[in-house]
Amino acid sequence: MAVSEFPLPDVGEGLTEAEIVHWKVKPGDAVAVNQVLVEIETAKSLVELPSPFAGTVAELLVEEGATVEVGRPIIRVDSTAGSIELQAPGDEEAHGSITDATDPRPRHGAAPAAEAPDAAAASSEPGSGESSDEGGGAVLVGYGSKGGHASRRRRPSAAEKSAAAAVAAGSAGGAGGAAAAGAGSAGSASAPAGQSAHAAPVRPASVPAASAVPIIAKPPIRKLAKDLGVDLTTVTPTGLVGEVTRDDVIREATQASVFRNIQTPEWGEEREERIPVKGVRKAIATAMVTSAFTAPHVSVFSDVNATRTMEFVKRLKASPDFAGVRISPLLIMAKAVIWAVQRNPTVNSTWTDKEIVVHHYVNLGIAAATPRGLIVPNIKDAQNLSLLELAQALEQLTITARDGKTQPAEMSKGTVTITNLGSYGMDTGTPILNPGEVGIVALGAIKQKPWVIDGEVRPAFVTTVGASFDHRVVDGDVASRFTADIASVLEEPALLLD
Amino acid sequence: MSTTEATIQLLSPEGTIVRNAANEPYLPLIDQLSDQQLQDFHRHMVVIRRFDIEAGNLQRQGQLALWIPSLGQEGAQVGSAFGARDHDHIFPAYREHAVARIRGVDPMRIIEMLRGISHGGWDPAERGNFHLYTLVIGSQTLHATGYAMGLGLEGRIGTGDPNSDTAVMVYFGDGASSQGDVSEAMVFAASYQTPQVFFLQNNHWAISVPVERQSRTPLYLRGTGFGIPSFQIDGNDVLASYAVTRHSMDAARAGEGPRFIEALTYRMGAHTTSDDPTKYRENDELTYWSERDPVARYEAYLRARGADEAFFADVATEAEDLAADTRKRTLEIVDPPASKIFDHVYSDDHPLMREQKAWLERYEASFGGEA
Amino acid sequence: MSTENLALAKAINLGLQKALADDDRVLLMGEDIGPLGGVFRVTEGLHAEFGGSRVLDTPLAESGIVGTAIGLAMRGFRPVCEIQFDGFIFPGFDQITSQLAKLTSRHEGAMRFPVVIRVPYGGHIGAVEHHQESPEAYFAHTAGLRVLSPATPQDGYSMIQQAIKSDDPVMFFEPKSRYWQKGEVDRDAEPVPMHASRVVRTGTEVTVVGHGAMVSTLLQAAAIAADEGTSIEVIDLRSLSPIDYDPIVESVRKTGRLVVAQEAPGNVSVGSEIAATIAERAFYSLEAPVLRVSGFDAPFPPAKLESAYLPDADRVLEAVDRALAY
Repeated sequence: MAVSEFPLPDVGEGLTEAEIVHWKVKPGDAVAVNQVLVEIETAKSLVELPSPFAGTVAELLVEEGATVEVGRPIIRVDSTAGSIELQAPGDEEAHGSITDATDPRPRHGAAPAAEAPDAAAASSEPGSGESSDEGGGAVLVGYGSKGGHASRRRRPSAAEKSAAAAVAAGSAGGAGGAAAAGAGSAGSASAPAGQSAHAAPVRPASVPAASAVPIIAKPPIRKLAKDLGVDLTTVTPTGLVGEVTRDDVIREATQASVFRNIQTPEWGEEREERIPVKGVRKAIATAMVTSAFTAPHVSVFSDVNATRTMEFVKRLKASPDFAGVRISPLLIMAKAVIWAVQRNPTVNSTWTDKEIVVHHYVNLGIAAATPRGLIVPNIKDAQNLSLLELAQALEQLTITARDGKTQPAEMSKGTVTITNLGSYGMDTGTPILNPGEVGIVALGAIKQKPWVIDGEVRPAFVTTVGASFDHRVVDGDVASRFTADIASVLEEPALLLD
Repeated sequence: MSTTEATIQLLSPEGTIVRNAANEPYLPLIDQLSDQQLQDFHRHMVVIRRFDIEAGNLQRQGQLALWIPSLGQEGAQVGSAFGARDHDHIFPAYREHAVARIRGVDPMRIIEMLRGISHGGWDPAERGNFHLYTLVIGSQTLHATGYAMGLGLEGRIGTGDPNSDTAVMVYFGDGASSQGDVSEAMVFAASYQTPQVFFLQNNHWAISVPVERQSRTPLYLRGTGFGIPSFQIDGNDVLASYAVTRHSMDAARAGEGPRFIEALTYRMGAHTTSDDPTKYRENDELTYWSERDPVARYEAYLRARGADEAFFADVATEAEDLAADTRKRTLEIVDPPASKIFDHVYSDDHPLMREQKAWLERYEASFGGEA
Repeated sequence: MSTENLALAKAINLGLQKALADDDRVLLMGEDIGPLGGVFRVTEGLHAEFGGSRVLDTPLAESGIVGTAIGLAMRGFRPVCEIQFDGFIFPGFDQITSQLAKLTSRHEGAMRFPVVIRVPYGGHIGAVEHHQESPEAYFAHTAGLRVLSPATPQDGYSMIQQAIKSDDPVMFFEPKSRYWQKGEVDRDAEPVPMHASRVVRTGTEVTVVGHGAMVSTLLQAAAIAADEGTSIEVIDLRSLSPIDYDPIVESVRKTGRLVVAQEAPGNVSVGSEIAATIAERAFYSLEAPVLRVSGFDAPFPPAKLESAYLPDADRVLEAVDRALAY
């Protein structure tokens, strides 16, 4: 004997429920297979349901007049051997399918009868996902009110969620790694038994306000950024419509690789490494010592809103007159320095013990990092160059330096220098004067920072103009005015039209 | 109800042979039947009826999405099925379960269709040339006509060799007779003089629409309109069904062109298990037709001819056995794998099928070994 | 191995002739294809050569033509149907989509349905309503069918034979406005795979893709663009289902820009599918979104307006300009 339940079937292609109109049997009655048990009313018609079982009626589970949804058992029958078990769709616990332990009838060709609940899951071949929703061998064909099958997406446990958030927020890899590997054992909520520890889909942490501005980048640029490991949210876009350009990505990437350490290398076995002092390194050292211990250095700094410079740079890039030439904020800074020098002439001079030689020309030095060390080539008579010529000169100087082909003549007779610390990612610094000069300006990184505009805090492109001076020649007031002049150009490039 | 003067009947509803001018050419065909063959008619009608009822019960028990009853049409189907030869080709609609079984299709194939396992899936060449069910109303008539055209092009008609000459029978209903494809099939059949019998089972209802809405003229006259010799028979008379079909198929096979038979019968059950006939037809109509039941009258005929109780008991047992076997095998049906979606969509290799099948496998696998 | 300069209609005619000669199970069937040789003369001479049992004039019934072709295929024939004009495919649509496309699957492989349905299609011949349609999308959308469209006489000659040899149902769309355009045909040439798409003009800045009559329009546009200093790569799709995407992806990797052109209305078209697929498969190469140049989403207009309706070289170049502006 076994207790069998008859779930309400979908008798009309998509019906979801029916009303029990009239029971034709009562508990205790003997029933045969196909004997009419009950009359039900569906949305379409009045239907008689024949018994799937032979045996004795044990219990009527729904009363007349009640409406019951498809899939819910309506009657329980003590069925004799040879009866079948019916499972409702989505009925994983397989309740009401207690089978005759002696019935060896195979279900799905899988587990034997005694393990009917597992039979519902049966094989893992493709497609059994659907049958597992319908239960074992004898199933309701219609889907009833449950509609399609329930989602099979894996919900991360609480521990996995917090671990995922930690990983996304960039916190120490250890915590995330441990949680991910711990298969839920780390947290109080345990993952469902049998689930593998592969990470739940990680959603990025909340977007910081600074990158609330959408990143415009064409697909190929996105791929480039991905390939170079560049985070687009940190790249300063200089494209026509504010998009990130290929150059922007490469600049960010090369900065990162040159001026940011990626790895922590091992020291090696020897306790000390000895590098001979010679060549460029020796020359730099000599120059620095000469400069640092001869000229009393003083540095001043000024933060400025450089948004208009960034916009100006964008427009220059779009201009056909400047097509083919690298345009960057350094160009504007160079023009600013030349302009500021003309307003503060003593900054552009040389100290000798007897006299201060004020130069009426600007040989503008640009500090350049090369693989062999720092060099400072200069652009002769920069004051005579148009914006375009200056841009071209800067580009050429950079290329030549990078190629290691700068000639000594190009490195001598500079009158004032710019060092572009921003390209190293630094906000500012205290540069050491190039020997023979009394002023050196540091261009820092230009980044989005909060700035007060019209009484409100708003994001703006902000940079720090830093400068060091020889206090034998340049006092604080001159230093400040000079630096302020440069800053004011960065704030308003139109001043250059003066 | 739709009988006319032209209706050919050999066996009255009471089970006695009728003799008149109209049926005279056909009686000899009955005389040629052996006792065994006559008993087989009954056996097939009873067994398929029992199967049909069991299938309906299985649907009501949630084992099938749908059942399409052939109840009441056994006479038309069994008789006509025996009117064809083994090598003839049969194109059914979707209610010809008796014909299917007679031709060698395991009734479980039909069960599987209605359980959602397949759309047919048997090979006609291995199943008595009984082609798959066609659910779009009337479409099969064109396929049958095309097949018959092929026979004509091959010269497989009218040679006199009964094992080579081949004919085609196509089944359709009164509702189908309104479909354009059915008319087009008759246009082509008449034009090419195909070896083909159009067998219309007028069961008087197309779901809830009575045949009067399909036609203001007896349906057999449709064939006449296309120039096809047409006959109307009492479809509940298995002997008339047999004889007229046999005669027509022989004529078609002999190269005399197509024939059209309208078999008057009645759909005693609903259109399908989703239907409720109480909403549109009257009980007295059912009473009228149950008095003209094909099985009852034929049993009376056989008894009068001397068939004994043992025979009927044996038939009943066979029927019960098939019902029980159907039940058992239905409960054992295994769902097909999802890969079936992609198999056999094309005969030749197809990149999209490969890609999508592989994708679905990976997708299913991505849910791991969870229950 | 010699080449002949043949019109597309003649090339298809020769392909049909060869198919009829090579396999006596091949049949042609359609309206007026017998003694008349078809309203476009594509079957000219075939009835005389092969007789009325191989080249059948059917009654005027498109559903009947397709449905009986199905029955003939069941009997082992290889029927090649002609639907007289694109606009008349619709009475046969049910037999094509509900039956022909599904029968192989319904039989679970027990039977094959090697039916070819030839359809002259497209505009530019000044015809009346229903004689200028481009209904390819309905069939490309239907699983179980293969859909081809030759643009050149060489392809007309070889692809019709490949279609007939295929054991699957094939819709063969013949650009009627190109029926009389001549091109080189080498009957002995190794045929290009039936579903392969092909670069027919190389370029570097923009890829343009089309099929049928559109291919010569695209070549014309490319020539104009070359004069203007823009280098366009032109791809002939040849097959609309399945579509051979590899050459298109490779081209877009090079150019970064894709324009798809078709006579058919653009809304929910073959062009839409190509745009979506290329966005997926070549996303990181795209400098601009994929642009479509199509017929407008209105019923095909009276012939006096078809030049305004149909994409021409200028409309293609307008899209090329837009793509380059990104």
